[in-house]
Formats: sequence, structure tokens, C-alpha cells
Amino acid sequence: MKPGEKKEGESAEEVSRRKFFTMMGLGVGWGGMVAALGGVGAGALRYMIPSVLYEPPTIFKIGTPDNYGIGVDTKLKKERQIWVVRNERGIYVLVSICRHLGCTPNWFGDQQLFRCPCHGSIYDTRGNVVGGPAPRTLWRAAISIDPVDGQIVVNFSTRQDPDPKGTAEGLMVEEMSREVEPYFLKV
Amino acid sequence: MLKLLERILSVARTTQVWKSIFRHGFPSTDSNRALVMFSNVILHLHPVRVRRGALKIKFTWCLGGLTFLFFILLAISGVFLMFYYVPDTRRAYSNMKDLGTVIYFGNLFRAVHRWSAHAMVFSVWMHMTRVFMTGSYKPPREFNWVVGVILLAITLVLSWTGYLLPWDQLALWAVTVGAKMAEASPLLGSAGPFGPELGMTSSNDVAFVLLGGTVVGQSALLRFYVLHCLALPLVTALFIAVHFWRIRKDGFSGPL
Repeated sequence: MKPGEKKEGESAEEVSRRKFFTMMGLGVGWGGMVAALGGVGAGALRYMIPSVLYEPPTIFKIGTPDNYGIGVDTKLKKERQIWVVRNERGIYVLVSICRHLGCTPNWFGDQQLFRCPCHGSIYDTRGNVVGGPAPRTLWRAAISIDPVDGQIVVNFSTRQDPDPKGTAEGLMVEEMSREVEPYFLKV
Repeated sequence: MLKLLERILSVARTTQVWKSIFRHGFPSTDSNRALVMFSNVILHLHPVRVRRGALKIKFTWCLGGLTFLFFILLAISGVFLMFYYVPDTRRAYSNMKDLGTVIYFGNLFRAVHRWSAHAMVFSVWMHMTRVFMTGSYKPPREFNWVVGVILLAITLVLSWTGYLLPWDQLALWAVTVGAKMAEASPLLGSAGPFGPELGMTSSNDVAFVLLGGTVVGQSALLRFYVLHCLALPLVTALFIAVHFWRIRKDGFSGPL
């Protein structure tokens, strides 16, 4: 029998105590190093996700409903990227982002239309597409009344986006289906 | 005219400075052609000969290697800090505070950067002390000693420019004091010896150029930021490359 040869049924005893602890030590050592490097790598990736933002808030107050009369109010377009619109039934907030490629349309009071300067998309006061390449209607942002001071609270990132293919009118969405909570205030 | 140039060159080739930079003559003889191959850093990365004693830890204490390790740590942690730091006098301090209190791992990267900076300054001094003690600055290694002295100076300036970036009281006044010292430098400073005689005023001297103004303000912060994150690290990397190349070529001096 040569030294390196195995006897039958003795394979379990082949690993000596010394070898066992050597392997264990190496395993713990290398495993610990890989775990430490992995931890640092994961932490470095987590570092790249900002914990604090210096951006305009997505939830903000725009004053009480009686500040807004019938029609389109454009005074918050530059600061908050919204139009506040009041009709006979109440108030809704349109997001001033063209649904074609994201430019900012302009309000033309004489035509009662929003027209985008980039590619000519045209919207009416309800946000329906009446011309140009825009594939969907303007977004409406979620709004509510603050119970403490009675101001309108706009949630800019929660938006109503009806599927234009689901309506018979194509890019014209039935108005009463849009005037629902939380995208419409009956005030 | 050509003869004069040749004469100047032939004299220059006999000087110690020339010989410390160029170690062999033109490859016009067989022995010089062999030396071109031997001393080429890419063809022969390792020193031709290393004495057994020079490899002992107790000879070098790995101080140059430690300095390089700290430089690498500083570069990596510094790049991470640059993602959140804006060199704007209105934002720098709160950016630094965000790194310390809000951002995940931010305090770790800042601490690694800070402690590595302190450690690098310390290890550079210890490295130079070791080189001095073992006489490793002597010919043929005097060229590398000069490169090392330049690296020491850059390390100190890197440390000083980084000092301003947190934009706290310590930073502001430390750099104000440093700028006053620059103002007092000879010839180039408005408050230094022979400075005023050479036409140096507080709006054209070396401190004015350093700060980009007469007080430590926005332009000083921006200048120190660019120096700290771009200009000085690049120059340092260049000199480190030359430094390592010369170590490879000159070998270790071995124990005394």
C-alpha cells in the first residue's frame, strides 16, 4: 500500500485534525475578507443613494380655494410647474408638462388653449389634446384641503392619467370621469 | 554657433545633475546598448540586483509603501466625497455636515479621508527620516531624493488645501494665516523682503494669486478645491511614478 492510496471505507478519516483546522481557518479568514469587502462595496453603493435632497418639494400648499377665480390661473407655472383651473363645479390642477416630449406649453387666454412651443401640441382647458403630436392628455395632480389652515395641498407626483384609447373620443376624455377625488375639489 | 552648443552640451554631460538623470551614454557602443535595455523600466521592471538585507522589514519599515497606500485610500475616499461636496461658500459647510450626519457611509468616507491625510503626512516624514538615517539619499540615488523632497512639499500643500474645504472657522483662519505667510514671502510677497521694491502690492502678489482675492472667500474656496482635487493629485501621481521608476532602477542601498 502506497502512502497516498485510500483504503476502502476510510475516506472519512482521511481528513486529519490538523488539516481540518487549517481548512477551517482559511475558510474563516477568506470568508471574513470577502464578507468585509462585500459589506464595504454594498455600503459604497448605498452611499450613492442620497439621504437628503435639496429639491423643490413635491407636496406643497398653494393658498385657499377662494384665491382662484373661474378659468386658468398661470401664476404658479414658473415656480411650481402647474396651472390651477376652476370651472363651475370646482378646482383641478394641471401639470405644465407637455405629454409629447416634456416641454412647457404656454397658456393663450384669447384662444382658451395651451400650446406647446416645441412641436405644436395643443390642449384645451380640460387638458384634452385638440391638435399636434401629443399622445395623451395633460396630467392632473392630486389635491386636497389642509384641515388646519384650509389651504389647497398639491401632490405633484401623484397624477391622474386616463388612457385615451379607453375612451370613444380618442384624445378627448369624458370630463365627469376626470372630476373625481383626489384630483378634483368641489369648492 | 553649433560648435558652441556642442561644447555646452559636452560640459553639461559631465555634470552630476545630468549623470543623475541619464545613467548611460548614447547607445553607440555595445555596452551602452545593453544598458539601454537593462535600465528600461518596462523591459526590466524589477531592480537588476537587490541585496538580501534590503528586503528586511527593519531596513525600510515599508514607510514608502505605507505612504503610497494612504495616497490610494485618499484618492478613493476623496472621489466619494466629491459626489456630495460643492465648493460654494453657502453650501460647503452644510455639505460637510450632511456627510457627517445624514449620508449613509458619509462619515466613514470622511473619516478615512481625514485620518489617511494625517497618516500620509506622518509617514512621508518617517520615510524621509529612514532614507536619511540609512544614507539612501547618496549618489546614485540623489535624483530620487530630490523627487522625494518635491513630493513632501506637494503632500504638505495638498494637506493645507484640503484643510480649507470644510469651510468652518478652523479652515478659514488656518488659511488666512497661511495666506499672510505667503504675503510675507521674499520678492513675491507684498509684506516680504524686497517685495514692495519689486512693485508687489496686496492686489498683485503671490497671496493674491493664491486666494484669487484679498480675503479668504468664494474664489479662494474654488481655487483650493481645484488644486486639492485635480491639479495637485495629478502632479503627485506623476512624481510618484518617477519616484517608483527610480527605485526600480537604482535598487535599495542595503543595510549600512
